[in-house]
Amino acid sequence: MSSVTLVWIALPFFIGFSIYLLPKLDRWLAIAIPIFSTAYGLQRIFAPSPLDLQLLGNFGVTLLSDTLSGYFILTNALVTAAVLLYCWQRQKSAFFYMQTILLHGSVNAVFICADFISLYVALEVIGVVAFLLIAYPRTERSIWVGLRYLFISNTAMLFYLIGALLVYQATHSFAFAGLGQAPTEAVALIFLGLLTKGGIFVSGLWLPLTHSESETPVSAMLSGVVVKTGVFPLIRFALMVPELDPIVRLFGVGTALLGVGYAVFEKDSKRMLAFHTVSQLGFVLAAPEVGGFYALTHGLVKSALFLIAGNLPSRNLKELQKIPLSISVWGALAIASFSISGLPLLSGFGAKVLTMKALLPWQVIGMNLAAVGTAISFAKFIFLPRGGEETVKPGFWPAILLLLGGLVLANVVYLDAYTMANAVKSLGTVCVGWLIYWVAVRRLTLKLPRVAEEFEHLIGSMSIVLTLLFWMALA
Amino acid sequence: MLEAFVFATVLLGFFGIILKKNLIMKILSMDVMSTGVIAYYVLVSSRSGLFTPIAYKEPVAYADPVPQAVILTAIVIGFSIQALMLVGVMKLSREHPTLEANEIEKSYTP
Repeated sequence: MSSVTLVWIALPFFIGFSIYLLPKLDRWLAIAIPIFSTAYGLQRIFAPSPLDLQLLGNFGVTLLSDTLSGYFILTNALVTAAVLLYCWQRQKSAFFYMQTILLHGSVNAVFICADFISLYVALEVIGVVAFLLIAYPRTERSIWVGLRYLFISNTAMLFYLIGALLVYQATHSFAFAGLGQAPTEAVALIFLGLLTKGGIFVSGLWLPLTHSESETPVSAMLSGVVVKTGVFPLIRFALMVPELDPIVRLFGVGTALLGVGYAVFEKDSKRMLAFHTVSQLGFVLAAPEVGGFYALTHGLVKSALFLIAGNLPSRNLKELQKIPLSISVWGALAIASFSISGLPLLSGFGAKVLTMKALLPWQVIGMNLAAVGTAISFAKFIFLPRGGEETVKPGFWPAILLLLGGLVLANVVYLDAYTMANAVKSLGTVCVGWLIYWVAVRRLTLKLPRVAEEFEHLIGSMSIVLTLLFWMALA
Repeated sequence: MLEAFVFATVLLGFFGIILKKNLIMKILSMDVMSTGVIAYYVLVSSRSGLFTPIAYKEPVAYADPVPQAVILTAIVIGFSIQALMLVGVMKLSREHPTLEANEIEKSYTP
């Protein structure tokens, strides 16, 4: 198994650069990679024992591939495959496919690495590749959005590097396991880097603009998997070092409420989805031991929603209420919205039940509020008018069928969720959400200020979050 | 003492990113900040000694090679990112010759 792992981790980079040399074969070479990753991810989910690799001795690269990695790898594979199918007939250049596959490879690397420096390298590669993908249209605006992303992520990673060095100083090793003996400053600095990279809580407010202004397939990739690269190491830390578990859970609740609070009042469909990514990452973090399954369902549903939102006639939800959608597009939109709101028959239900069961008592109120908020904001999609003509781009349906099919199939992971009490509770949550939507939110025209999303405030808020983290780690 | 200088460099770079208006100056400030981080790695690796880790005849106090090797990777990544950002800034400068970050932000935020 270890040689398969090594081949699997190196192959995307090898193929990615080959695509540039063989531009005629670009799509076919590209699609082979996520298929391989799907197989590997599934194997990891069902593998009985985790795989622990030490390359090049004590100071070398440490890899750890277990069930948790399996879920994240599967998410990455399915989302990349869907994005490639979506772009299949779209005359994208070989450059686009190369970047997509390199992004896929570096995201995979994050999901199995177990030392701070491999993680740093993988995260920086993701930053560069994501910048190139965001700036792919070469418009001034896309370059600015990408530049802003690269700037913020690179500044955060500088703090992370200092933290990694402090861990080394304390334990003479860069392995994740050393975080337990590291000083509190190290924990605070490393967390700041990962929270910013993962788009969590106030340090994640760069995310709505970046994800909503990118092209449709790129925002599907960014929201579906790339932000999970910041979340995954946090889950690992929480599971490895019990003292860090409450901090991660607290950030989970905080970001779930913050994201949903913005999403409820948002009138732009893509921005609403982006704020929802912030909030759903909170659900992943709120219960680290079951985060993998939640990340899988969220990755599938969010990339599907971004692909659908890119094919709606308008981005403005007020205008969308006047233009009827075709039944098929509305159906896909409704299925995705049902899953994210946690209705039975879709795996979003199982994931939500599993997460709610693993919560600590102090988290329950916050997370239930966030679940109601999710139902409120997705009611905006579900109650759109129907009966128009279908105007989707080619490649749309294969991608959506893959993602929604994955959502239905993923139910097998947790069939025990289907009890009367759980079903009633989820239906109740959704009904309350829809009621609030019809009574209040539908007529509301509140515009939340965007001041916290300005570039300088984003950088400045890093220092505030750092202080906050420092106090939390001390306590 | 040296540690204080290192942290001062990091902080100065960080405040430069916030306080400087011009995009090029912001990128340079980020470079100052990363210089501080690199210096910190070098400083920590010299705690155990100053000699290069090559076999000598008599035992000497070696510098720790691991952080130095690691920071070499980070230096390469850092300068490639800066090069990429400067290319982006060059493109932006056509529409916004003053390169003031808040002006650019205002015109590209919907």
